[in-house]
Amino acid sequence: MLEDIIAVKKSLFATGVHTELRAQENRYRRVSLVQGNIMGNQRSETSGICARVCKNGVYGFSSMAEYSSEAADAVLRAATRNALFLDERAAKNKPAIPSLEGGMIPVNMEIKDNEQKKYIDFCKEIDDYIVKTYPKLTSRTVVYSEDSMDKILYTSDGKDGHTTSPRCYIYVFMNSETLDGAPIELYEVFGGAGNFDDNFSKPELLYDKLEKLYKKVMDKRAGVYAEAGYKTVILGGILSGMLAHEAVGHTVEADLVMGGSVAGPSRNKRVASDLVTMVDFAHTALGQRAPLPVYLDDEGTPATDAMLIENGILKGYMHNRESAAHFGMTPCGNARGFEFSDEPLIRMRNTAVLPGKDKLEEMIASVEDGYYLLDTGNGQADLTGEFMFGINMGYEIKNGKLGRAILDTTVSGVAFEMLQTVDMVSDEMVWSSSGFCGKKQMMPVGMGGPALRCKIMIGGR
Amino acid sequence: MADLKMTAQKVQKVIEEAKLTKSRFCVEEKETQEFTMENGEFSLFRTLFDKNLSVNVFHNQKKGSASTNKFDDAAIHAVVEAAVTSSESAVADEAYDIAPKQDAECFEVGIYEPDMDLLFERTKELGDNIKEQFPKIQVMQIIVSHVKVHEIYWNSNGTELETYAGAYRLTVEFSGNDGEKTTSLNYTGISTTDLSEPFIEQGAIKRQLEDTVKQLKVKPMEGKFEGTVVLMPECVNEFLYYITSCFAGDSVVLEKTSIWLDKIGEQVADSRLTVSFDPMNEKIVDFERYTPDGFKSEPYDFIQKGVLKSFKTSLYVANKNGSAPAKNMSYSMVVEAGDTAVEDIIRNVEKGLLMGGFSGGEPGTNGEISGVAKNSFLIENGRVTTPVNEVMISGNLAEMLKNIVAVSKERVADGGAVMPYIAVDGIVVSGKN
Repeated sequence: MLEDIIAVKKSLFATGVHTELRAQENRYRRVSLVQGNIMGNQRSETSGICARVCKNGVYGFSSMAEYSSEAADAVLRAATRNALFLDERAAKNKPAIPSLEGGMIPVNMEIKDNEQKKYIDFCKEIDDYIVKTYPKLTSRTVVYSEDSMDKILYTSDGKDGHTTSPRCYIYVFMNSETLDGAPIELYEVFGGAGNFDDNFSKPELLYDKLEKLYKKVMDKRAGVYAEAGYKTVILGGILSGMLAHEAVGHTVEADLVMGGSVAGPSRNKRVASDLVTMVDFAHTALGQRAPLPVYLDDEGTPATDAMLIENGILKGYMHNRESAAHFGMTPCGNARGFEFSDEPLIRMRNTAVLPGKDKLEEMIASVEDGYYLLDTGNGQADLTGEFMFGINMGYEIKNGKLGRAILDTTVSGVAFEMLQTVDMVSDEMVWSSSGFCGKKQMMPVGMGGPALRCKIMIGGR
Repeated sequence: MADLKMTAQKVQKVIEEAKLTKSRFCVEEKETQEFTMENGEFSLFRTLFDKNLSVNVFHNQKKGSASTNKFDDAAIHAVVEAAVTSSESAVADEAYDIAPKQDAECFEVGIYEPDMDLLFERTKELGDNIKEQFPKIQVMQIIVSHVKVHEIYWNSNGTELETYAGAYRLTVEFSGNDGEKTTSLNYTGISTTDLSEPFIEQGAIKRQLEDTVKQLKVKPMEGKFEGTVVLMPECVNEFLYYITSCFAGDSVVLEKTSIWLDKIGEQVADSRLTVSFDPMNEKIVDFERYTPDGFKSEPYDFIQKGVLKSFKTSLYVANKNGSAPAKNMSYSMVVEAGDTAVEDIIRNVEKGLLMGGFSGGEPGTNGEISGVAKNSFLIENGRVTTPVNEVMISGNLAEMLKNIVAVSKERVADGGAVMPYIAVDGIVVSGKN
């Protein structure tokens, strides 16, 4: 954990400008076992300090890979110099960002370390179990991955704080072949926020989940290609979370709204059926700790929930302090930087579709001819809300019953059109939090949702 | 820069004192200066001072790695110890190795010291040029930077290599915007060492801006057909990247899931296709002059006239597989020009798609690929007609390589790759209904 050596620098902040000074350490631990071979076995840390200075609407930023009093002075000087360079040439002369109430946000979670051996042994035990239990697999990979951010922030006119965000996961990949010999691969992720011991006490606790993954692999061996076309589908919670993040979330980030996203002209308009409500949660979601809790952002804004879509109506955007002032809204603490060398950008936190009242079984029973889509390896969307998700696991639904598994395919659509076709929403939430969002910088994000019945384009062969 | 050499000497001493059988390290200092323009205005000027030390040990054939961005004595000892400790927990594997001794060399790549005033002016000029020439383009962000790197590489076989490298990089994110009509977000960019020419004249920037304006008249495509897809150079680059990682990269060769595992020396693509990895090519801006394993990098053909010549594997995976490691590890791809003009390629297509982007998941090891065609246009009776959206394409990467029907004479060089247009038959193109 970082020791605070920069509190004293706050008194040196220049007047007439907005200043942030942030010390940060990111830590990574990774072990990957491919076919039992240790392909990756890494421990790394990056730490340093950065300063950002805003003058008349332009920002100067500087960072240094060194956490010392001298480095703090140096980045404050360089950031100020850069702000002046741009202010002279660009002459934006914008008013100052509105001030926020001061105060201090304390540490919320300790970051703990372990010897690498503990991770390797755990992965080996899982790998041995897979080899022993599932001889039909053609190959397998077990990965332990841990990352954490430890930040100390001082601002000229907002909250200060010391915040931490450790998380750790085990990825298990299982490979097999279809009946005609084509390779297939599925994976599952276990873990979440917190340290190793919070998430992984005994390998045996994962065995039930491995069995479920294996069953999916075996089902997929006899998989068929989906029939291409515009279909009624049940999107599982992993996919509705992906939808919330990729297809809607990005379009309502205020910097992308200013960049011309479809959400600009859609505010206070219907963009989804009235069954759809979507929120970017800060630290508490539906009465429980959010998957990746955020208490303070890197501009000194305390984190609160951002309502995005309420009963189908687009209500708000996610902001930094500058964009909130531009739109006359309240910032909710979305401005975050990933590493010490990253300036804060508008980022999502725990973005989710809220659960409804339907039972998943009834939703499946209601579909005559469609698909139940469960897992995705990836997803992309753009400013228009046009999205695509790779589907790596799903089943046919025929006459209200689950049928054969399907092979890899893709679904696509335009978010604000597709969301208007949602006519059933399940009462169970599924969260995922192992991913990184990439938007100039990486950022750990959580996403989640219930199962949604909707219409969507599915690619076939 | 004498400091970096001193750091390298300290790391070497600590490693030698640890009496490891095989080891390597890389120590680097990096300085980035970067301007950002948002929505047509300068908004940010960043200066970043970074450094990194990464240590790999293969003591008694057990692998451990650690890295840090601290260079003080305590951090150097800690990172070497972390690498050694993690190797002690690992399983011994005879395949771990480092390159044999290479002759010492210091490489100078690109332009090491930037001209920030000229870079500012070129960036401003790009913003102004887009405003004047493409009033319906909304530039969300222009990021332009100069990155310089000083790096020292060492391994326990006595190799000492050093690089001083620097280059300018530009990325532009933009969309078409006309009232309430918005196109997809589009990206373009270049890497260069030369600021003598306006940015807008370089790479494919102007053509991509023009295409995006045309996309404002986009229509959803109806129906489904199997036809020819003409991949624009940026799309060719993306597909070849997928092909490399699905069929020839470390994971798939190690896991033996590559469908090309026994295909070295065999025809895997149409004979018009030659793909090489060439970080030293005069049209490429790539800092790699040696591989992480410690071999001096050399260009090599990946696919030569349709024949698979090499996997893209590290020394470890090559040893496991009984094949040779790739001669460089860069992704700087150069595809040989074909003999047909783009205009003629399109003229020969009865029904097809001219495809500028692909939004899809990274395909699995079977090469099956499906996703949304972005920035795309219908081709009908030899002419590019309607810009279309909500179009999905599906096919198989291995089959696509065999179904190449034309490679263009024209190529785009953006500093990261040199790519022609490539036409592929037999792709399923599906519209909304």
